[in-house]
Amino acid sequence: MRRIAELSLLTNWLCFIALCTVIVSLNGCAAMKNVQEPSHPESEIKRNDFPVARGEDVVGQLAIIKLEEGDTLPDIARHFGLGINAISAVNPGVDVWVPKAGERITLPLSFILPDAPRKGIVINQATMRLFQFKGDSPSLVVSTYPVGVGTEERPTPMGQTRVARKAPRPTWHVPASIAEDHRKKGDILPAEIPPGPENPLGEYALYLSKTGYLIHGTNKPASIGLRATNGCMRLYPENIAMLYKDTPVNTPVLIVNQPYLIGQRDGVLYLEAHTPFEGSGTGELEKINAKLRSIEKQSARTLDWKKVKEVQAEARGIPVPILEMGQGGYKEEVKPIKVEHPDTLYGRPAMPELKLEAWYVLAADVREEIDARRLAAIINHQGPPIPARVLSKSSGYRVVAGPFDDIGAAREATKRLKIDLDIDGIVIEPAKQI
Amino acid sequence: MKTRLLVISMMLVVGAAVSGCATSGDLEKVQAQQNLINAKAEQALQDAQAAKAAADAAKLKADDATARADSAEKAAAEREKIADEKAQRADAAFQKSMRK
Repeated sequence: MRRIAELSLLTNWLCFIALCTVIVSLNGCAAMKNVQEPSHPESEIKRNDFPVARGEDVVGQLAIIKLEEGDTLPDIARHFGLGINAISAVNPGVDVWVPKAGERITLPLSFILPDAPRKGIVINQATMRLFQFKGDSPSLVVSTYPVGVGTEERPTPMGQTRVARKAPRPTWHVPASIAEDHRKKGDILPAEIPPGPENPLGEYALYLSKTGYLIHGTNKPASIGLRATNGCMRLYPENIAMLYKDTPVNTPVLIVNQPYLIGQRDGVLYLEAHTPFEGSGTGELEKINAKLRSIEKQSARTLDWKKVKEVQAEARGIPVPILEMGQGGYKEEVKPIKVEHPDTLYGRPAMPELKLEAWYVLAADVREEIDARRLAAIINHQGPPIPARVLSKSSGYRVVAGPFDDIGAAREATKRLKIDLDIDGIVIEPAKQI
Repeated sequence: MKTRLLVISMMLVVGAAVSGCATSGDLEKVQAQQNLINAKAEQALQDAQAAKAAADAAKLKADDATARADSAEKAAAEREKIADEKAQRADAAFQKSMRK
């Protein structure tokens, strides 16, 4: 009788423990679900081509990536088809050249289409992005690429133009004004530069009907997303190759300047704000606010103007939901997708191994490691690239460019460091003669 | 009767006078108590002075720590400013180098 009682007690205990285990494991599952969202392989991330649904103005999806040691924002930007302006704006406070490993950054892969006819090529200077529309509604597709545009002194002209002609491996006929700029810096340019690594037009060029202006590739990929051209629009080499292939002669090209964009997707109104170019901010802001007031009136809904002002002031360059338009037709907000870090970043400057029999250039001798790493990264991202690395010493760090095969190449690198970065490099002889 | 009353009164007066006079033992006792209180007072004074000195020293230390914290904060802000300026200068140089 006593044994039966003990057995019953044991069974109850076992049942209790089993129940506890089930409850704990269920809780565990829920927690895991919240904490560990699955990361997507980077091959799944859409960068350039997006279908455009009828009545929709927002394409793409934001993504988040965890940085690794040695990453730079220009390398991440290029790999994901973004300009340096876009990735910097959405990640304020992240060091462009020496970001912290493990830091999570946003990839701004969602765009509001410019307020322009969806035909041919539309370039929004303020967002430094080109949109190429292909097909017609309902199967309209947009391909979008980041661009580099003209400087404040030599801005890209606005308005309607068209592709007048195309050329692979173009020759650069150096304009007199650019030759003069270089001459002042002690750099005498030839009248023309043939195709090759020294050619700033890269591998392909689309000549616009507006004489002297081109859409072309580049030998300085890190300049995409900067105001660094003499009025032309430059693209990453891999992007100009695609654009060149897809663009027939006579394609219309419209160049606009729209720092503030509004658009709808799934019944939600989005606002995207970029830092406006000097002189265009106030006017553009008034224009967009008038549009927003009109939408507010038409929809009979109240806008959160505090949020609108916040988005405009922050100018992060990503679409932010500001108003639910439809009655109950509102779908869940598109959340950023977590993306795995690729094994190799496309276009990242190669770092040749050190060789004792090679020539080098001492570019800097600094105390702080971060300064050395930043400078080495900047030198690495020159166009054409100059390999540079950080060597530590007892009381600081050295930035050394090279290896170079001969003294001529080392001297050429020294000249470029002086002209482009105002660095007085010192040529270092080989440690071992061949 | 009168005599008896007189005697009783005298006895009361004598008794009262005798009880009013302090003995030398009583005096010693009082002095000892005074000494003890004095000693206690002295001790309390010393304790108070020590406590004040300790409080002053603590305040000095706290003031010093605050001043050092302020100075460290300023130095950190200065370092951050210098680092930001360096980064900005480097970035400006880079952007310039990206022109044709």
